[in-house]
Amino acid sequence: MRRIPKIAYIVVAALALSGCTAQPQGEVVLATHDSVVISKELAAEFQKETGLKLVQVRAGDAGALTNKLILTKDSPIADAVYGIDNTFMGAATDAKILVPATVKAIDYADICFNYDVDWFNASGKPAPKDWADLTRPTYTGLTVLENPNTSSTGLGLLAATVARFGEGNWQEWWQELKDNGAKIDAGWEDAYYTDFSGAAGKGKFPIVLSYSSSPADEVNTAAIRNSCFRQTEYAATLTNAKNSAGAAKLIEWLQSKRYQDSMPTTMYVYPINPAAKIPESWTTKAPAALSVLGENLDVAKNRKSWLADWSKIFG
Amino acid sequence: MAKRLAWGVPIAFIGAFFYWPLGTMLAKGFSHNWVHDLFDAKTLDSLWFTVWQAAISTLVCLLLGIPGAYVLYRRRFKGQKVIRAVITVPFMLPTVVVATAFSAFHKWNTSNAFWIIVAHVFINYSLTVRLIGSHWSELDPATEEAAELAGAGRLRVFWSITRHQLRGSLVAAAATVFLYCATSYGIILMVGGGLIHSLETDIANAAIGMLDLPRTSALAVLQTGISLVAFVISIRSGHHDVEFEGAGNGMSRSGLDRRDRLVAGLTFTVIAVLLVVPMAVMISKAFMDGHGPLYNFQLFNSHGYRELLNVSIAQATLNSLRNMLVSACIAVVLGILISWLLTRSKSGSFAKFFDGLLLMPLGISTVVLGLGYIVTFSNPLFPLRSSWLAVPLIQSVMALPLVIRIVKPAILGVNRSQLESAATEGASAREIFWRIELPSIRKSIVTATAFACLASIGEFGAASLLAFGDQATLPTVLYALISRPGGHNYGMAMAASALLMLFTFAVVLAVSLDTRPLRRRR
Repeated sequence: MRRIPKIAYIVVAALALSGCTAQPQGEVVLATHDSVVISKELAAEFQKETGLKLVQVRAGDAGALTNKLILTKDSPIADAVYGIDNTFMGAATDAKILVPATVKAIDYADICFNYDVDWFNASGKPAPKDWADLTRPTYTGLTVLENPNTSSTGLGLLAATVARFGEGNWQEWWQELKDNGAKIDAGWEDAYYTDFSGAAGKGKFPIVLSYSSSPADEVNTAAIRNSCFRQTEYAATLTNAKNSAGAAKLIEWLQSKRYQDSMPTTMYVYPINPAAKIPESWTTKAPAALSVLGENLDVAKNRKSWLADWSKIFG
Repeated sequence: MAKRLAWGVPIAFIGAFFYWPLGTMLAKGFSHNWVHDLFDAKTLDSLWFTVWQAAISTLVCLLLGIPGAYVLYRRRFKGQKVIRAVITVPFMLPTVVVATAFSAFHKWNTSNAFWIIVAHVFINYSLTVRLIGSHWSELDPATEEAAELAGAGRLRVFWSITRHQLRGSLVAAAATVFLYCATSYGIILMVGGGLIHSLETDIANAAIGMLDLPRTSALAVLQTGISLVAFVISIRSGHHDVEFEGAGNGMSRSGLDRRDRLVAGLTFTVIAVLLVVPMAVMISKAFMDGHGPLYNFQLFNSHGYRELLNVSIAQATLNSLRNMLVSACIAVVLGILISWLLTRSKSGSFAKFFDGLLLMPLGISTVVLGLGYIVTFSNPLFPLRSSWLAVPLIQSVMALPLVIRIVKPAILGVNRSQLESAATEGASAREIFWRIELPSIRKSIVTATAFACLASIGEFGAASLLAFGDQATLPTVLYALISRPGGHNYGMAMAASALLMLFTFAVVLAVSLDTRPLRRRR
């Protein structure tokens, strides 16, 4: 009988500890997808400037991030979000998880096919100029790309094909691509770093679905810069945020030249702020796409039926 | 009256933290297109995969587990206890660690379904061996010996006699392994590389990937249905008081002899190739991958390549340990209370009904329950979802049935006459419990605590949904690392997995080598 009070002490102590971890004043929580990088130095600068401690919460890829925010809308996991892109903006807006006036574009990236220039020089085959040609016999067994079910890069191309060939017709191109021996990987890392011949993994495939910025880091690769799919990522204050004043300051800071300068090297995306510095290797080797399509598709809404059709072809 | 009050605590607990969120989640499934969701082509594919991979895993487990049970529980040889402990480790390992270990074989061009089944057999082999073995070791060898004297071979003896005697535990083992494989989440998600779908991964994807709650819960209903069937079969086999520990103290067992060469050879090969090699490969990778043998371990304070993690592995370890303490405390204290009440209950049907209610969590996935917490406890009035307590609460609910299955048989096995004489000498029920029963079931409590701790440390489904930001646990951090293996993330995942494996091994070994005699069951 004497032991019961001890357990009570433990419970009380545990509850007290949980009380201690409650948010102190002057903290702003930012939910992002897994690839958003804010270095410790920059976070410290933000704190010096505003007096706010920046806490970053990574919550999966852009889709999982959006959906987790929707599911937890009533008691949100953060004050602000950065990383919901144009493909998921429709879902976020419909669920009213963002304060409309606070939505600001922060960065963009162009999903384009890349090819290994050395490989094409050595083989004597012509390098592809348009990704629609990848279904031709010249490129049989040369292409690796990401599964749109598991990769936002793959989903971007799927959207691009819908925009280019139209509802009901895009399936044909994918069927031809499959018949032409394209390899499907689960994620971008696998496709780019393991299977692409032009990157560190020295894989077997000289054509890969990646970004217009990817060639910046490689010895001799190039991007097909036409008809790319542009992902624009946004930041916004969350509805029901505890610290919406802090969130506003944070979003302003994310648009500042200081933070935008860091984005190309840490996140491989183009800064939205025209004043931001872009590395020289980017302007020479990895400029943004010449033409983009599919920006206004409501991907979140149509994704389910697209993916079902796509999975029938590759299933 | 006091007893009725005492019943109130576990009923309120399980009602509030299991049935309420589960019911809320499942209720979302009864929409107009419920039938359509249940039976579209994609669901049927997932359902088919769930069933066939679980069936094959179960079959392989039985085929390998029966000889294993014979060698490790029916016979006696030196080092047997250590081997029993070694094979138990995979069952208690966090699924994320198992997936990490098998990801080392991924680049072989074999279909992923094959590796999923291998991983499932890796995990459930010891459960099969233990369930069958503990039953086998209690059989009187006289019949078998008589048959052998009459000239029957051992295989023939097994087929015509032992098989029937073991029927209860064979069915129980098959149903339990099937249940675990059918509700497997982490393994299918990670070993399948996100390309293979079972009901369980579809549930998570429908919710988090597609935000389709009606479909999520329709799938959960289907999943629960499968679990219930497996469950009812396992209970009706009459062998559901799983004894995890100290089996085979009853009957005398003879040593291995020459005629056991084949089964012994098979068993030791299976243990070496299927169980030891993957663990050894992972430990070696933890040290060899990266720059220098301790490089991966030095990264435990970092946030991974490109600052991937919300918290360092060190912080995640602290979170996991805190969750473990809280959930194990709740599960063990409540589990003892419930076991005690169940053994004292006079009206059999009520106890049976309640026993069944308490077993349900075994058949429900933590993913479904985690989603239940999100949809039930997100309101501002009762924001349990945003508290760190949500994860340990789910873990304790899930561990509770295991604790009861271990503790209840032990209480039943306490010497009756001792209790009765204490009662006639005027000791109160409470005094009897604290002075006699509790000390007698000490070992079972230790075992139950170890199980609850390891179950909490390894729990992935609920933590992946509820442990946001700085609340990340070891399994969620490991998953983040292994799903983005670039830079030094892969090495970090291997190193953390190796540490978890050693921790698991230490706990299992400590419990199973605890040599103080266990009181015989009635």
